[in-house]
Amino acid sequence: MEAIDRLVFTFFNADVAAKYLPDILRGMGVTALLGLAIVAAGLALGLGLALLRSMAPRWLRILIEIYADIMRALPPLVIIIVLFFAFPSIGISLSSFAATWLALSLILAAYAEESIWAGINAIASGQREAARSTGMSTWQALCNVVLPQALRMAMPPLTNRVISITKSTALGSVVALNEILNNAQSASSHAGNPTPLTLGALAYLVIFIPVVFIARVMESRQSWMK
Amino acid sequence: MTPDLTSSLRPATASIKPPILELVNLHKSYGANTVLKGIDLRVRPGELVCVIGPSGSGKSSMLRCCNRLEEPSSGQIVVDGVDITRAGVDINRVRQGIGMVFQSFNLYPHLNVLNNVSLALRKVQKFSRTEAEQRAMAALARVEMQDKAKAFPAQLSGGQQQRVGIARAIALEPKVMLFDEPTSALDPELVGGVLKAMRELRDSGMTMLVVTHEMAFARAAADRVVFMDGGVIVESGPPEQVFGAPEHARTKAFLSHIRAH
Repeated sequence: MEAIDRLVFTFFNADVAAKYLPDILRGMGVTALLGLAIVAAGLALGLGLALLRSMAPRWLRILIEIYADIMRALPPLVIIIVLFFAFPSIGISLSSFAATWLALSLILAAYAEESIWAGINAIASGQREAARSTGMSTWQALCNVVLPQALRMAMPPLTNRVISITKSTALGSVVALNEILNNAQSASSHAGNPTPLTLGALAYLVIFIPVVFIARVMESRQSWMK
Repeated sequence: MTPDLTSSLRPATASIKPPILELVNLHKSYGANTVLKGIDLRVRPGELVCVIGPSGSGKSSMLRCCNRLEEPSSGQIVVDGVDITRAGVDINRVRQGIGMVFQSFNLYPHLNVLNNVSLALRKVQKFSRTEAEQRAMAALARVEMQDKAKAFPAQLSGGQQQRVGIARAIALEPKVMLFDEPTSALDPELVGGVLKAMRELRDSGMTMLVVTHEMAFARAAADRVVFMDGGVIVESGPPEQVFGAPEHARTKAFLSHIRAH
C-alpha cells in the first residue's frame, strides 16, 4: 500500500492540485485561444495560397511550392525560436504568443496549401469544363464546382494536421508562453511535486478529445463521394 | 419558328435561314499534331447535324472548338452572327448561348440534381433561387427527370445522369446545343432514354450538333450527316444519301466497317 500512497501523493496530490488549478485553467485559456487563432490564420492562408497556385503564373507557383517545402521541412521549434530570439536583432520584436502563433500558422498554412492544392488537382478536368460551358468564369467554376469538392477531399489530411499543429502550441513553453505545459511545469517545480503536470495532461485531453471526436465525425461524412 | 414542324419539312425550312453556327476554315493543332485541317460547316436554326467518323478523326476537337473549350489555331467560329474567336469577345456570355452535353456527363457530384441544373441559372444568369429552381424544374421535366430533383448524381443510372446533363444545358435556353458522344459511356439498355430526350429536343426546334456513334439515331433523326476523317469533312448530306449512297471511298469503308460489327 505504501507504493500506491506514494504514487497518489506524487501524481495525484489533491492539495497541490487545488492550489495550482487556477494556473492550469489560465494555461488552458491561452492554449485554446492560440489554437483557434492558428487554425483560423493557417487555414485561411493555406486556402489562399492553394487558390493562388491554381491560377498563378509559373514563377509564382514555384515560389509557393518552395515556401510549402521549407515550412514542412523545418522543425516547428526552430521557426518559433528564430521568430522569438533572432527577429528582435533585425528590429522585429514579437511577444511569445505572437511568435508561436505566427510560426505555427505559417506551418499549418503550408500543409493546408498542399492538401487543398492536391484536392483541386484531383478534380477531373471535365468538372471545370462543364462549369465553364455554362458560362461560369474561371473563378466561378473554381468556387462553385471545384473547390467544394477539393475541400471535402482535403478534409481527412487537414483535420489530422490541424490536431497535430494545435498540439504543438506546447512548444510555446520554450519561449515562455504561459500556456498549459509551461504553467504546469513551473507549478510543479514550485510545488516540488509533479501533480500539476498530471493536471496539464488532463487539460490537454479536455481540449483535444472533442477536437479528435469532431474530426472523426467529419471524416465519416464523406459518403456522397463515390 | 413553329415547334411542330414535321420532319420532312425541316431541311427545306431550315435551308432558307442564315446559319446559327458557322465554322470557317477551322484549324487546330496540338504542337506538331494537326487534328483539324480546315473545317467549313454551317448549321442552320432548327437543324440537327450528326457528325460521324472514326476515332481520332477530329470530331470531338471540332465540337469543343465551337464553344472554345478548345482554342482553335486558326479560322473563324461564328455563332448567331458573332465571330467568337475575335479578341475581346465575352466568352462567358457566348457560352450561355451554346449548351454542351459531355460523354462522361460531368455532373457535379457534390450537388443534387436540382442544384446541378440551377447552379448556372443562379450564378451566371443571376436569377433568384426561386426563379432558378422553377426554370431548373421545367428543364428537368423536359427530360423526364423532375422526380429525381433531390437525388445526387451517384444515385442515378448513367442514362439518368446524362438526361440531367441535357437539362443543365437547356435550362440556360441556348440557341444551339453541342453533344459530344452523349451515349458512348452508357450501357446499351440506357441509350434509348437519352436518344428519346434528344429527339424531343429536336422536335421542339432546338439546333443541335451531335458527335455520335449511334448510326441508327443519325439515320433516323438527323437532318444532315457529316462524315469526318483525318481532320477534314469528307462528305456531308442528308442521312439517306450519306448512309444509302455515299460518294467517297473513305465513307463507304467506314460505314461497311461499322456494319460489320
